[in-house]
Amino acid sequence: MDRDLFSHIDTDLNSISYLSLNYDHFDSALSSIVSSPSAAPTPPGPNDSLVLRELIGRLGTICNNKSASVGAVDHSANTSCYSTPLSSPPKSSLHPLPNMNPNPNPMPFAPDPGFADRAARMPCFGGGPHMAMSGQLSRVSSSQSLMDAGMTGGVQLEGELPVRENGSGGRGANNGRKRKAGVKGKGKEASLASSGTVNSKISEEDQSAKRCRPDCKAGEKKGGTEEKNGNCSENNNGDRENKNDSDSNNANAKPVEPPKDYIHVRARRGQATDSHSLAERVRREKISERMKLLQDLVPGCNKVTGKAVMLDEIINYVQSLQRQVEFLSMKLATVNTPSDVNMDNLLQKDMPQACSGSMQQPLYRSAFSYPNQPQVAPLNSLLATNSIPNLGMQPSSNLPFDGFGNANPQIGGFWEDDLQSVVQMGFGQNQEAALSSQSFQGSGPSSSDMKIEL
Amino acid sequence: MENPLSEARQHSQTIIEERGKRIKLAAEIGLARSSSGRHWARALRRRLYRKPPQREYIVKNPTPLLKKEVPLVAEVVADVAEEKEEIEDKVKALQRLVPGGEEMEVDRLFEETADYIEALREQVGVMRALACILDGMESRDGDKL
Repeated sequence: MDRDLFSHIDTDLNSISYLSLNYDHFDSALSSIVSSPSAAPTPPGPNDSLVLRELIGRLGTICNNKSASVGAVDHSANTSCYSTPLSSPPKSSLHPLPNMNPNPNPMPFAPDPGFADRAARMPCFGGGPHMAMSGQLSRVSSSQSLMDAGMTGGVQLEGELPVRENGSGGRGANNGRKRKAGVKGKGKEASLASSGTVNSKISEEDQSAKRCRPDCKAGEKKGGTEEKNGNCSENNNGDRENKNDSDSNNANAKPVEPPKDYIHVRARRGQATDSHSLAERVRREKISERMKLLQDLVPGCNKVTGKAVMLDEIINYVQSLQRQVEFLSMKLATVNTPSDVNMDNLLQKDMPQACSGSMQQPLYRSAFSYPNQPQVAPLNSLLATNSIPNLGMQPSSNLPFDGFGNANPQIGGFWEDDLQSVVQMGFGQNQEAALSSQSFQGSGPSSSDMKIEL
Repeated sequence: MENPLSEARQHSQTIIEERGKRIKLAAEIGLARSSSGRHWARALRRRLYRKPPQREYIVKNPTPLLKKEVPLVAEVVADVAEEKEEIEDKVKALQRLVPGGEEMEVDRLFEETADYIEALREQVGVMRALACILDGMESRDGDKL
């Protein structure tokens, strides 16, 4: 219920904080996308199609990037970005890829809503013959779908075989081009294709997209299991094609087969392709992605590499935060407030008001009702100045400030209703009347006594 | 005969501790309510409402980092196993820290940890602001009382 009240605020909050984090990715991703056509090391033949596919793939991750790093599951604004068949939290397959090299010349790039449609309908996104090979792709877990929020057309990446087959049946053109490119991929593509949901940072997508093409070419020379060949072909073509498939399907109102509960994983070259190891790989990718999220949250973890060290840092950070809460609560206990401030009244669990956890409620009561408190303005400034540096998120105009300039919407927002009633009570009533409505725990008078003694 | 002053001091000290515990409880309740949709928040609420309010937070120390030497070829396997175990221990420690963590898998645990960290940071910010305000009020009006 509280979540409902400020879910949108939460989204804003998170997007504020993470947008700044992701802006680099965003910017460089865009720039790389724009400049990639020139940098694509592919023969002129399939160049256009591959480049377009890559573009679609990258665009598909821009939105996911933002929402992925948010880390929250329930963001209403972001759920529209995905179309995961499962209701579970957005899955993402992340490879621990190195950071992308920022493009020197960023160019403004606005995702064209019709881009996906147009690209999807291009004849180069065929792939009939490959579908036969793709039949050997081993299904591992739940399906994937990448949807580009920037494109209103809704590029959907669906890893299901049936979908591909349907889509390819509908296309049929230009299979030759894909054949050439399609060989087993290095599996970086897997992040794009397979369980790739909310992935990641665009850097990984870039790397994967870039790597897959040359890898696929190289892999063609070597032998490989049919499965892997099928995988790669799908890697290069299938995923993007899938995206385009679904997209064109959506655009053409073709019936899209309902996604199954699988995650389709590409087998990397040289790796086992049985279901266990693939599932294991998916799981590892998920875990590494979450670790990256945590790395962003925990300060000073950017240079740290390695799971163990990261975990240590995380544990330390959580411990320190918990200790801070404890310390601050002790400190609040020692503060010699005027006797009419009964903070521990709120601690009464059986009190409906107390249970709202609004520690600030008595403060506001007293602030409003305290006769010697001439104005609320200093309180505003105090709160504003103190909460701004203390909060992890930098407040901007997006953050709703209540009457106290409380820059913490999540905690401050959900008892706004209480606050209003408090204000009315505090202003309109005698302070004793306001306070006596609460059951008194008994430390009020003793605090004043305590003051005298100390 | 006991010194009444020291007795009073002890008494007030206990009062402060009691107050602190209650305030901490309120803070934790607020923390849990701020993210009521989350697994850790629900677990935290269960814990808070189930146990008596004086229950202390059990904070475990993480296992110390093992200093890794350059592994010999023969030791690689042993090192890998060791490292895995070390990571396992750390994951367990994290599970104990995050409320409701024991029941979760690692990937879900990380997700919950991220959200828990965010909520904790906000909570700390609020409490800091509150402390500052109260300090300001106290210093401003302390002499009037």
